[in-house]
Amino acid sequence: MLNGKNIYKPIKARLTEVIDESPVIKTFVLIPEHEFSFKTGQFIELSVDGIGEAPFTPSSSPHVADKLEVTVMKTGYVTEIMHSLKPGAFMGIRGPFGRGYPVEDFFGKEVIILGGGCGLAPIRSLLYALEHVKDKLAKVILCYGSKTPADCVYKPLFNRLNKIEKFEAYRTVDKPDDEWDGAVGVVTTLLDNIRINLKNSVAVVCGPPIMMKFGTIRFLEMGYKDDQIYLSMEKNMSCGLGKCGHCMMGEFFVCKDGPVFTYNELKNTPDIWK
Amino acid sequence: MKLTLADLKKIRFFDGYSDKQLNIIIKMSSIKEFKVKDILFEQYDELSEVFILLEGSLSLGISLANDKRIHLGTIEEGQLFSWSAVFAPYISTAWVMAMTPARVISVDSRKLNLEIEKDCDFGFKTMSKIAQTISHRLSDTRFQLMNQMLL
Repeated sequence: MLNGKNIYKPIKARLTEVIDESPVIKTFVLIPEHEFSFKTGQFIELSVDGIGEAPFTPSSSPHVADKLEVTVMKTGYVTEIMHSLKPGAFMGIRGPFGRGYPVEDFFGKEVIILGGGCGLAPIRSLLYALEHVKDKLAKVILCYGSKTPADCVYKPLFNRLNKIEKFEAYRTVDKPDDEWDGAVGVVTTLLDNIRINLKNSVAVVCGPPIMMKFGTIRFLEMGYKDDQIYLSMEKNMSCGLGKCGHCMMGEFFVCKDGPVFTYNELKNTPDIWK
Repeated sequence: MKLTLADLKKIRFFDGYSDKQLNIIIKMSSIKEFKVKDILFEQYDELSEVFILLEGSLSLGISLANDKRIHLGTIEEGQLFSWSAVFAPYISTAWVMAMTPARVISVDSRKLNLEIEKDCDFGFKTMSKIAQTISHRLSDTRFQLMNQMLL
């Protein structure tokens, strides 16, 4: 029990919409039975009765308590069942768990966000949170890369962001198709052209481990200090509580101490990019 | 169209250069314009110009033995390319094609090399920035390679 609440008991949530984001990624729009609040970057355990549960970071705004959006990539048995669910079905939610983004620490600063693949899910939630406090921020720049144009999630998000004052969004793909007329190359190439005020800036990295490794290296090369780089280490999370030990990474439990860390906290941890 | 000090000051590559040094670059440079699908140079061409993209978008790639063009990346505004023009044997390692109408700064690489030898400060700054461009390109290639290996 935590604050009188059974942390193992899921809240029932009704699935109202399923959005196809890419051939293997869907966003589930859920209405929880009770109001459900979380801080951006915190994660939840999403379950299907009789099948199992898996950890996900909500991709919706933390300022909307009556609706939750969770973006799920089909990677195994539980996520495959989730992908077969239709509106009207019920799912379970436990959480929120862990430590999210310290948005207040970003006040007055430029926030440069580097995202790849399905890593845009937690970032979308962060972008909503930053939009909510945009008057207190200097600038927000999103650089996002996907393998192909079809793999890009939240396609309408980019146009929307570019219309918001202080926000800029850029996209690239590793492998273009015939219709793609945008940038080609790995996501770090987008950073070559961005003008930043290093002393007054923070970097956020979220995506596949390889992308996080090269992204972090590039930010360090650009002159960012270890504590100016925020990493969302969405991996190996299982029970959500730091009890099962599955998420242990060096001295940290990702479920409990993360999933958001500064690079300064993790830089001496072995195998952080595995 | 004439290249101005204001044009160069907008480009990140030239951050840290003095006005005097930028004026030297202006004297050895010109602006060139390209139409969509124009090839700026082919892989294995001998190069005599270093380019910086002012406006538009360019595609960079390599050619296979069957003449098939493999598109590797995009050059965005403000980026330097054709760095091979500064180093012997001055042979390009890739082709570059205009994806949109493009305006580029063309710097005479022979004159640039002479200035690099003459002025240590200018030379160090220029070589550092070119090395950084190459280092980023190498790092991005490794990233791309690892992505492919993990597919």
